[in-house]
Amino acid sequence: MSLSKTSMLDIIKKQYTFKLRAYMQVFMSMVFIQMLGILFSFNGVGMSGGGSNTLSVNVHYYSADIVVAFTIVWAIISAILITTQAYRNDDFVFITNRMSSNFSNILFLLTASIIGGITAIMSTYVMKVLMYVLGRTEYLSSPIAVPEMLIGFGATILYVFLGTAIGYFIGTLVQLNKVFVVLVPGVFIGMIVLGAGSMNGGFFQDMIKFIFMESSFALFFIKIIILVILLFSSSAMLSNRLEVR
Amino acid sequence: MILNMDGTKPIYLQISEWLEREILNENFKSDQKIYSQYQLAEMFTINPATAAKGLTMLVEENILYKKRGLGMFVASNAKEIIINKRKDQTLKQLVVEIVMEAERLEVSIEELIQMIRDANKREAGE
Amino acid sequence: MNVIDCKGLTKVYGRTKALNKLSFTIEENKITGLIGRNGAGKTTLLKIIGGFMRGTSGEVRVFSEEPFNNLFVSANVIYINDQMNFPTALSLKEILNVAATFYENWNHELANRLFDYFSFHQDHQYTGLSKGMKSTFNMIVGLSARCALTMFDEPTTGMDAAVRKDFYRALLKDFIAYPRTIILSSHHLNEIEDLLEDILLLKNGKEHLHIPIADLKEWAIGIEGLTANVNEWIGEREVIHLKNIGHDRMFAVVRNNFSEYEKQKAREAGLTFSPVSSSDICVYLTSKTKGGIDDVFIKD
Repeated sequence: MSLSKTSMLDIIKKQYTFKLRAYMQVFMSMVFIQMLGILFSFNGVGMSGGGSNTLSVNVHYYSADIVVAFTIVWAIISAILITTQAYRNDDFVFITNRMSSNFSNILFLLTASIIGGITAIMSTYVMKVLMYVLGRTEYLSSPIAVPEMLIGFGATILYVFLGTAIGYFIGTLVQLNKVFVVLVPGVFIGMIVLGAGSMNGGFFQDMIKFIFMESSFALFFIKIIILVILLFSSSAMLSNRLEVR
Repeated sequence: MILNMDGTKPIYLQISEWLEREILNENFKSDQKIYSQYQLAEMFTINPATAAKGLTMLVEENILYKKRGLGMFVASNAKEIIINKRKDQTLKQLVVEIVMEAERLEVSIEELIQMIRDANKREAGE
Repeated sequence: MNVIDCKGLTKVYGRTKALNKLSFTIEENKITGLIGRNGAGKTTLLKIIGGFMRGTSGEVRVFSEEPFNNLFVSANVIYINDQMNFPTALSLKEILNVAATFYENWNHELANRLFDYFSFHQDHQYTGLSKGMKSTFNMIVGLSARCALTMFDEPTTGMDAAVRKDFYRALLKDFIAYPRTIILSSHHLNEIEDLLEDILLLKNGKEHLHIPIADLKEWAIGIEGLTANVNEWIGEREVIHLKNIGHDRMFAVVRNNFSEYEKQKAREAGLTFSPVSSSDICVYLTSKTKGGIDDVFIKD
């Protein structure tokens, strides 16, 4: 009988469409997490007050920061999740190899990041509507210019995507050896503790400063993309010899 | 049409014996095309290679002949060959066993022959 | 063309050798039965052939390529076992639809007909199925994929007798319609032996016997008679099973290389020969001791 020819691109495409449907739970958990984020945001991210004898003013600042933070945590966890045994077995039930599996996973995570990033920013609108409906006194919102808004979306998506890359890397390490279940959080906490102890912030804090305190969007974009590529390619290389099923 | 699945006799032998019976009963006449290995495989739920082996056995005994690209056909003297073969082998073996059993049970040859005659009468009476 | 070439394949887990210098070849369009006791290495072997696992040493070629992490092999091989995992987010019908997009030769009509015949419901979840129904569903996927190499690892787990029969018949019919290389591993050799062309018997991770199933029945023969007599006639022949009957009689299963003349002589000496079924031969060949469980109960 004739043997089926395969093209890597074709299989990645099929795997990607398959995963969009098969990993539905990932999006469901996102909706849940973001709703939780909105709920927490109701207290405002900041508050200042002042007043005279007859007048008192309380100013609450509301923003999507909490929702974004929650979304990043969701991104890390979801990425770890899809590297676990159960998901991997689902993955390898049909035609694939490690490379097409990794590529389709990355594409899936990118899609999830874009959706997650956009909905996270959009949650501010949900908050505004809710605030209005609930009749919370007066409210002011600063109008945002379109380019700024786009940068906001872009940056959020990049943060979330970086989150998935970190999660995917951690998940891959754990798949290689269960020791990392303990090691990864250990190292993480260790770095924070060491960093807090030293005067000038330590390596961990420097890293964070270097990546996140970037005022130029272009530079920020490049830094994140390089980091993401590094993380994903090392995950792919590490998992290339992994046995499945 | 169910094969004897007690596992003592090879399946291909059972297939060739079953085909011989079909020829003896004249369900297949001289120069008629017989079942293909795939038809047999389907009929009995057996591997086509096993069915082919059963057919090949009959070809080797000249009961069937091959026509290239057309399949297997019943030889003109197939029935004769089968009858002779069975007389020669199966019946003789059976007789040997009957005689051995008779010896064990201390049945005399005369008695045995009488038993065969009775059985024959009963068969004819039916 | 050889579909599988295996040379000196060894797989080590920790300290145990699941496969131990295994060598064999499997030709195209044959149904081969992979037989062996639990832990003989059947599943490990199939997973290596499927490209999911990698051998520790030795060589494997599937369609002349190294199977591990190989997309071409993955596209032409399907491995079905009783621990299949399908995404929980998909319904049964959706799983079939997805499978159809992956496999080039997938026969969707066959899949749907089998799906209806075994009364599956399109909205049901795989995880909600009973063990037997899961096996039946796996079988539908395995057959419909029509992969050049189709491997079923204990496909009938949990199926009732009627479904098992249906499965064997479906497998055979589709094999005739669309010949391909099939490997079937099963504990029920007596049920599958009619389907097989060859048999590959594994013992302790090694190839013990690889012969046409038709030859297996003539490979060994049972002899019964007085112990002294039996021993005399066995001579130098390889004994695979021994059983004492009463205090002076014995039943032995030995390699069948008696000539007709020898058999005739032996019969005259009071011995009886009996054919041994394929599954019994396999049981005897793979058991650790010649007497099987009886040896446990022997007291000195």
